[in-house]
Amino acid sequence: MIKRFISLEWKQFIRASYFQKGLVIKILLFLAVLYFGGMALLLGTSLFFILKKTLPEIDPIISVNNFLIYWVLFDMVIRFFMQQLPVMNVKPLMTIPVKRSSAIHFLLGKTALSFFNFIPLFIFLPFSIVLMAQGYSVVNVLCWFIGVMAISFSVNFLNFLVNKNNAVFYTILSILAILIGLEVYGVFKASEPIGVAFNAMYNQPYLALIPMVLSLALYKINYNFIRKGFYLDDAITKKVKEVNATDLSWMDRFGSIAPFLKNDVKLIWRNVRPRQVMFMSFLFLFYGLIFYTQEIYMEMPAFLAFASMFVTGGFLLTFGQTVPSWDSEYYKLLMSQNIPYRKYLESKWYLMVVAVGISFILSTPYLYFGWKIFGMIAAGALFNIGLNSFITLFGGALNRVPIELNVKAKAFSNTNGFNPTQLLIGLPKFVLPMLLFYIPYKLINFEAGLIVLALSGVVGLVFRGFFLKKIETIYQKGKYKTIAAYAEKK
Amino acid sequence: MITVNNLSKSYNGVQVLNLENLEIPKGQSFGLVGNNGAGKTTFFSLLLDLIQPTSGHIENNGVMVHESEDWKPFTSAFIDETFLIGYLTAEEYFYFIGELRGQNKSDVDALLAQFADFFHDEILGKKKYLRDLSKGNQKKAGIVAALIGNPEVIILDEPFANLDPTTQIRLKQIIKDLAEQQGVTVLVSSHDLMHVTDVCERIVVLEKGDIVKDIQTSEATLKELEAHFTN
Repeated sequence: MIKRFISLEWKQFIRASYFQKGLVIKILLFLAVLYFGGMALLLGTSLFFILKKTLPEIDPIISVNNFLIYWVLFDMVIRFFMQQLPVMNVKPLMTIPVKRSSAIHFLLGKTALSFFNFIPLFIFLPFSIVLMAQGYSVVNVLCWFIGVMAISFSVNFLNFLVNKNNAVFYTILSILAILIGLEVYGVFKASEPIGVAFNAMYNQPYLALIPMVLSLALYKINYNFIRKGFYLDDAITKKVKEVNATDLSWMDRFGSIAPFLKNDVKLIWRNVRPRQVMFMSFLFLFYGLIFYTQEIYMEMPAFLAFASMFVTGGFLLTFGQTVPSWDSEYYKLLMSQNIPYRKYLESKWYLMVVAVGISFILSTPYLYFGWKIFGMIAAGALFNIGLNSFITLFGGALNRVPIELNVKAKAFSNTNGFNPTQLLIGLPKFVLPMLLFYIPYKLINFEAGLIVLALSGVVGLVFRGFFLKKIETIYQKGKYKTIAAYAEKK
Repeated sequence: MITVNNLSKSYNGVQVLNLENLEIPKGQSFGLVGNNGAGKTTFFSLLLDLIQPTSGHIENNGVMVHESEDWKPFTSAFIDETFLIGYLTAEEYFYFIGELRGQNKSDVDALLAQFADFFHDEILGKKKYLRDLSKGNQKKAGIVAALIGNPEVIILDEPFANLDPTTQIRLKQIIKDLAEQQGVTVLVSSHDLMHVTDVCERIVVLEKGDIVKDIQTSEATLKELEAHFTN
């Protein structure tokens, strides 16, 4: 039976529409997987030596153990937002004689093959081998490794529960919030005893049993949970939550674009995929930390300009690049209704501008790095509002890949709303701010670079009508193609 | 109201629709029947300018459909679920369509009040998103949304499918009233011969893209249609 399931899965995989897309995408995905896998392997092999060098007085295994809790937390958060839960098409299986238990075991076993479980494997396996090669006790290292992998699997199954069950989600969330709060305010540092616990696990190999038991227990809970729900009325028909219709009539003051704006807010609020994008764009805010804290980038202000554009441009870039695709599910309706494209576009534009504004306000802590850096962020924000928004909308007009709104994007297997055109159109978004800043910077000085970058945004605003008109024309030209592309079955 | 001239549509060299001449006068309830692949949905899509004709054109109230967008204010349609916005509640959806068609909240409310029967308490005030409604209820919402804003042409693709018997009967009455009392041109396609003959004054039978029958509905029509589809 399991063999049959596997063959079904395989067919689903190779016949999926994303797999049949262009060769370029396949290669890109392959490279991405290779890159992340390779980075993990590299980290795994060099981790021991890095720690030895940076913290010579502490045993590397102890430092790893002390930091492990942060890894686990990070893993949890990333999984929650990125890991798509396996759904086997159970409906057709219900009416044919298949043991429920084997279907469920298969379903759960499938999650073990998730990309997110391979990353820790790729990091901790080489790390453990290095440890052993360095003369650490084989038994201890092996058990520790098994323990860590068991924890990873526990997170895997926990994520399953968390996603399916709101009660579990809120419980975990509040426990984490309390622990982090206590940690930050120094009342009780939970990471210390946890670090001690991990070290104990290394020193007493039999303790690795605890995470193993934990992962088995979570597996069992999942099993029971699915088993109980293995009926049409629970598992297949979606759980319908009662809607709290929010009153957005205050937005009517935006005049003719109000209906679209109200819709867009609901779109983002009520669908999984746009929410995911919101979360991602929030992470962009921290992009500056990578660049501003490194001495070498201080010598390369063009890269700083690039980073500064990113800090406020997260939403603009992630949401904006797939603009018409957000409405792909009901594009036919929009096309047969009495809708001026102009208003539709303007509404999206305002949304992006507001997002840049909010990001800019949230980026004020960057003042810590001094006025120069903050000036760059401000100039980058202006560039985003005045020019980048139009470049992004233009790029979106060429993008005809439908998006399923209420489905989480899978890591590395979902190419929805992504194609080579996007990459090409993406280039000016990144290169332009660098050039706009760098040329006057080289020719005159730093301030001149800032002013030119900021002014480019203002110029873009002045020509707003012109740009919107141009983009509108592209939309109109591509109308039939877009409708046909969105109508394709996913 | 609607004039079709030499309209054809081909995909990769295969002709799926070929209408030499078709004239639909204002206020007519017009039925389109035919087996799968006969070209019903293709014709409706062309009427809504969702696809481009390979040759010929459609005029809707004097407006060339594939050249101007001026037909949009007086034309409305419900073709399939892609005409619904899944993450809105039924009310929000109606108000949204209303806003697009220049109707304020109370206009829409007044219209909805007439359809309380039709909704059968399953659409309004349910606090559910449209995507969570059953197929039949989604259809009810879509059909009523197509009536918002006093359109002069209404296009409904397979409106009877998925509806329960009570609703089907109510829908038939609604369509009749629209055409007879309000002078609305209603275009309906269906696989249910009985419903179409009940509702439509005129029935056109499509077969592989061609018109094979054009009947003014009478007592004998249902028999005639049944005979046609039997072989």
